[in-house]
Amino acid sequence: MAVFTAEVFQNEFMADGATDVHAIVTVTSSGAGAAGASGAGVAEIVMIDSSGSMAGPNLDAAKYAAQVAVDQIADGTWFAIVSGSHVAARVFPYPNAALDMVQMEQGARAEAKRAIGRIAATGGTAMSTWLLLADRLFATVPQARQRHAILLTDGKNESEPRHALSDAVRRVTGHFQCDARGVGSRWEVEELREISTALLGGLELIADPNEIAADFRALVQRSMARGVADAELRVWVPQGGQTLFVRQVSPTVEDLTARRTEVNALTGAYPTGSWGDEQRDYHVAVRVASKPVGTEQLAARVQIAVDGQVLASGLVKARWSDDASLTARISPEVAHYTGQAELASAIQEGLAARAAGDEATATVKLGRAVQLAQETGNDEATSRLRRVVEIDDATEGTVRLKRDVARLDEMALDTASTKTTRVKR
Amino acid sequence: MDHVVSAVEALCAACGSTLAPDARFCETCGARIEPVEPEAPPEPDDVASAGAGGVGTAAAACVACGGQIAPDGYCVQCGRPATSPRDHWVEQPSPLVGGVCDRGVRHSRNEDAMALAGGDGYALLVVCDGVSSAPDSDVASMAAAKAALAVLEQGVAGGARAVTGSGTGRTAAWSGLLAEAAAAGDAAITAAFTELAHDVEPPSCTFVAGVVDGAHIVVGWLGDSRAYWMPDDAVPQQLSADDSGAAELMAQGVARAQAETSPVAHAITRWLGPDAPDTTARTTTTTVHGPGWLLVCSDGLWNYCSPADELADLLRATAADQGGDPALTAGALVTWANAQGGRDNVTVALARVEPPVSVRSDSLTAPTDLN
Repeated sequence: MAVFTAEVFQNEFMADGATDVHAIVTVTSSGAGAAGASGAGVAEIVMIDSSGSMAGPNLDAAKYAAQVAVDQIADGTWFAIVSGSHVAARVFPYPNAALDMVQMEQGARAEAKRAIGRIAATGGTAMSTWLLLADRLFATVPQARQRHAILLTDGKNESEPRHALSDAVRRVTGHFQCDARGVGSRWEVEELREISTALLGGLELIADPNEIAADFRALVQRSMARGVADAELRVWVPQGGQTLFVRQVSPTVEDLTARRTEVNALTGAYPTGSWGDEQRDYHVAVRVASKPVGTEQLAARVQIAVDGQVLASGLVKARWSDDASLTARISPEVAHYTGQAELASAIQEGLAARAAGDEATATVKLGRAVQLAQETGNDEATSRLRRVVEIDDATEGTVRLKRDVARLDEMALDTASTKTTRVKR
Repeated sequence: MDHVVSAVEALCAACGSTLAPDARFCETCGARIEPVEPEAPPEPDDVASAGAGGVGTAAAACVACGGQIAPDGYCVQCGRPATSPRDHWVEQPSPLVGGVCDRGVRHSRNEDAMALAGGDGYALLVVCDGVSSAPDSDVASMAAAKAALAVLEQGVAGGARAVTGSGTGRTAAWSGLLAEAAAAGDAAITAAFTELAHDVEPPSCTFVAGVVDGAHIVVGWLGDSRAYWMPDDAVPQQLSADDSGAAELMAQGVARAQAETSPVAHAITRWLGPDAPDTTARTTTTTVHGPGWLLVCSDGLWNYCSPADELADLLRATAADQGGDPALTAGALVTWANAQGGRDNVTVALARVEPPVSVRSDSLTAPTDLN
């Protein structure tokens, strides 16, 4: 049984009349064990792009990577392999098999690898069909409550209207988790981000097809090491209070605010997916009615619940004071992650403005991003930004847009924009 | 539970303004008000795992809203912290005697203390206010109040040293017991803190005790905690006279309002404790001629309403609201003081005084052994 702990970082002292309380809650899990440790079945689907554009080294690398992934899927795990173009096809179990998913064992592993080897590149790209097929396959194994998929593509979702993908993402959200991978530079960051964000997965750009196999190996290994099938973050606010936002801020920035489901009138639950032994940070902001100086009150209970059972609880407090030396201090954790979240949106907005030809806005936004990356010590973001802008003064955020930017560099910056560095403690 | 929940002051989620009952929109900001269903008690799972370090009073009710206190020590409804029994308690030793001792809003500790007793024809009210600049004054004030009450209880009918006689002999006996009670309170502090007696600032507290014995009220005090007689149909009066900087200023002719807001207003000139220069309680005696209230309180109340006539108006109105119940009335006065800012600990002790009807008006039911 996994053990969760929750630790709260905040300045609980509020100036007279103040209403908004911010806190960073660090949730740590340990002893999660292997996937399926809790008794829930595990299911894994690998979706690889088999559209015409994949022909050549990309498809060869993707097929090899899928075979490597199959090697990593633990015996007993329900699995399937899907190839996707403008339609989706079940590659394994074979299309004529009675079962949509089978449990991994030696024979199935060998047969699946053989089936993957026969995938050929043809057709266009309609990722909604891939997601809907995966959803239908997962639905045949209700006993497998921990469901994970990998989606790999190299191109744009060009064979269907844009909303078809969004509709499919909405339909399958909450049914399984999905990591998205884009190989090369011809796919759309925004399309895959929509998938990975909604399906509680990660997004990576793989520049060199030869790196796909290593990435798939790591992905499946991580999935197989997630012993907690599904955990939810719960936020209680006092009567009359209001949750302003709930945001995962580490390892990546993901806004969870809109994903609230009600536990009771005062408590909302936010999905966090499966957990291995790991640590994630959440930024919770709540608004409570201001109280007289001297009053203490609980502003939020931030809890981790698995199967409806609360396993850890962090208390966010508010204490009104007229001592400015106490109330003026900003928690370094809150400041750090506020900056990191702004960094992510500054990068995304800056790149979007540049793509739209609005160079003035792009310069301001990317300049702000350079400034924030410097302030929060996110050196990786700084080096990625450096490939897109000339930095005149990082402290002031003065930059010039580079004239000739490799699309891959721009995509790498965009893809990694939500990655945060941890606060130095 | 419903009646408790409905008493919760509803606040607008958007702007925090107080809402009228059953309001559908906030009158301040216009936000739509979503009705909040009373929260069901948390499932046992939630309670068991909601956090370590619980106060062990899972079933306790929140004093602010009546909600349940979770094991993490905060209300499940409004988030206020559970108060320790020392921070807020109510006593009602008899139907006519009640009091509330409360931490107030601004202080982190309740250094006030009270000890009450009451019975057929008598009431004993003791209030002590710990001097907050001295450490452990909360313990000192509690020890003093309890020791003083123990002495006074000896004087009631059936007690070890029951006061007998009538008229001035009777009140003089009570005055003597009040002086002894103050001395016993002082000794209790010293006994509890012998090892601290040589500290720079040993613990100390004020003392005020009111005795109701039939139609007699006898009061003793040191410091600025007060006793007031608030008759229903006559002029109210402050019975005690503060031993304080403010009182000294007023004795020199400074106006009350000015004196009570001066920097030295709350510097008390007499108190109980190891460093007290003089622990002889001053006493005063009154005979009442009609029903009314004996109010004994700490400065946490009278700071917000010092003049006897204004405080009497407040008390009468509050008592009327509370159906004349002394404990409820004391509680409402504490709530009122906290609403004014609650800058200090607040203690309000009340005894309803209904003097024996004179013999000539009804010889059948009136007690004949008094007066």
